Amino acid sequence: MIDIKLDRVSKHYRLRTSSKSPKGWYAGALRNRSPSMWALRDVSFQVEQGEALGIVGHNGAGKTTILRILAGITAPTGGEVTIRGRLAALIEVGSGFHPELTGLENIDLHGAMLGMQKSEIRKKLDSIIEFSGVGQYIDMPVKRYSSGMYVRLGFSIAAHLDPDILLLDEVLAVGDAAFQSKCLECIAELRRTGRTIVFISHDLAAVYRLCSRALLFDHGCVVADGPPRQVIDQYQGLTFGSEMRPVGLAEPESPAQCMSISFLAPDSSDGVRTGYPMVARLGYCARQTIAAVVFRISFYWPSGYLCAQLATDSSRGGLNLGPGEGRIEFYCPVLAVVPGLYRVDLSIESGGQEIEARPRCATLNVGPGKFVAGDFYIENSWKLVEGTSPADESSQPSVSTPRLD
Amino acid sequence: MSGLPHGAAGSPVGDSGDALPSSADRQAEAVPKRGQARPVKVIRPPAFSVGTIFLGVQTLAQYSDLLWILSLFRLKVRYKQSALGWIWAALQPLALMIIYTIVFTRVTTVATGGIPYPLFVLCALLPWLFFSGSISNAVHGLVLYPNLLTKMYFPREIIPLSYVAASLADFFIGCMILAGLMGYYRVSPTWNLLYAIPIMLVISGFAAAIALLFSAVHVRFRDIGLAMPLLLQVWMFTIPVVYSLQSVPVRFRSLYLLDPIAGLIESFRAVLLLGGRPDTTSLALSAAIAFTCLVIAYAYFKSSEATMADAI
Repeated sequence: MIDIKLDRVSKHYRLRTSSKSPKGWYAGALRNRSPSMWALRDVSFQVEQGEALGIVGHNGAGKTTILRILAGITAPTGGEVTIRGRLAALIEVGSGFHPELTGLENIDLHGAMLGMQKSEIRKKLDSIIEFSGVGQYIDMPVKRYSSGMYVRLGFSIAAHLDPDILLLDEVLAVGDAAFQSKCLECIAELRRTGRTIVFISHDLAAVYRLCSRALLFDHGCVVADGPPRQVIDQYQGLTFGSEMRPVGLAEPESPAQCMSISFLAPDSSDGVRTGYPMVARLGYCARQTIAAVVFRISFYWPSGYLCAQLATDSSRGGLNLGPGEGRIEFYCPVLAVVPGLYRVDLSIESGGQEIEARPRCATLNVGPGKFVAGDFYIENSWKLVEGTSPADESSQPSVSTPRLD
Repeated sequence: MSGLPHGAAGSPVGDSGDALPSSADRQAEAVPKRGQARPVKVIRPPAFSVGTIFLGVQTLAQYSDLLWILSLFRLKVRYKQSALGWIWAALQPLALMIIYTIVFTRVTTVATGGIPYPLFVLCALLPWLFFSGSISNAVHGLVLYPNLLTKMYFPREIIPLSYVAASLADFFIGCMILAGLMGYYRVSPTWNLLYAIPIMLVISGFAAAIALLFSAVHVRFRDIGLAMPLLLQVWMFTIPVVYSLQSVPVRFRSLYLLDPIAGLIESFRAVLLLGGRPDTTSLALSAAIAFTCLVIAYAYFKSSEATMADAI
């Protein structure tokens, strides 16, 4: 069953140069020549019942426009959207609240705005208050609420709408960690019961965790559609392309520079793969003799968190470099990271001081190698032991012998 | 986890109605089945058609609870953090009544047909203040909280309509003062008083029409909001509020009564204070004009609603 179907949907905005220059406005209106842009162009996709679709893309790629059209806030300029089921959109949680009204009154108001009947709200009132966790402030005007309380109450009301389709736009950015995980649990529960979810976020980790499928938008078009990991990688590729700083551009005052970085798979022609050896080769150029040098290569998750780091051992005080060019080679016998695209930062330290930093200077593309589920590959071997006796356990401590293949 | 908000257990169980045993269907069987009556909504580019009016009214009916709740909250919010609170609803017509009484009895005089002037003017002021108050509030309603338009969906006409409904409450408070004043001047009402109900209904319909039209235009052109106080001021003197219809030369009268609100307010005063029956043809004509305006205004509002969030 298809819950959401978009058929060649376009959205055109006329960029009006507000009332500042009425002359220009009249001219534009009369000749119909005011500047305009296409926020969406012939976008077609379908969402099955029970699917959790993540939408990623740069700012201005058309993500929010899609959500607004789905929610009915604005109409498309062309095309057709078919929606089957009750739909709730959380574009900015709590934006429908009236600041002067109390939490309780706002539950009534907001619930009704989302399309609930009064009787339905009354029935779910206790549950809404309990889930939001703002029980003791429920008779206070919401203008005195903290932003976290706002969001909690807003999300709680929307979650109780019991929608067939839930649209979420960056809603979990506010709220503390406990409530965020509560929300994610709630969303996961909605998914288990067959609800359809459309999720827009810049938090790529959340998209990866929450969604079964992802779409990548760029300049108003769908450019990728598939499993979240794959789409996020492609998105990362787009991003890196635009903000990568090439290695080797000289900064004259720096005593040492990174000149090149490359990642090699010593025993394979398929490139770097999970579970197989990798060599990282970092070329540098020193202008003078430098003492206590440490080289670092940092790998970042698509979401921007540090995933792993390679560094020349600093416990012995670092390396002493003479002037001239050279290179550092890191050998990793087993690459434990999962397949995907990683952002690479380079840095050189001397005596604990950073003397060269090259953020976002390269990417590491890890291809699928050995089977991996979860966040890391763990090198292992296994054996079957039948008829285990307690004596057997004690004589053989539960340590598996590492084995390279 | 506790307090998980989904009422799948309470929802009606029905067949999904899909004949093909696809994998999606088998998956649907594993989860609690939800009612088959899932509404299907088709969104297309905005178009001006009769169908949109019917669809709009249908959606509005679904959201009738919101209209009710929002109207109540308009009242609550309006007098929140004010010391006098509800008394303000009575103060405005009272103050205007006193001023007009001073001006039109001391400075100049007006033929009232034997009715004491305070009563004469208050009786027309109440429906007029309802009419002008609902319009001037409703016009600003949509742009007052832009977040509602850009972040949420519900039928937008509910916002201006809730202001009309809230003004009606003020009108009823004013009516209590009117009743007191009628008692004071010993003007006894007759059963023709009940004609006031259909008259007020038509006034409300006309107020809703003007409110819808102007609030929709105001989203795009803020000139409306700026012109509104002036327009309403001028409008009040073109209708028989401070003077009576008798003061209008007969040859202008039919033109004069083209404005439905003029005839309606004169009728309102006549049924309450003179105990006469209203002129049914002119009442029917006013109702017809008001209804036509309402349909046109609603159609315009609905066609403009689709892109309101972009224009605001």
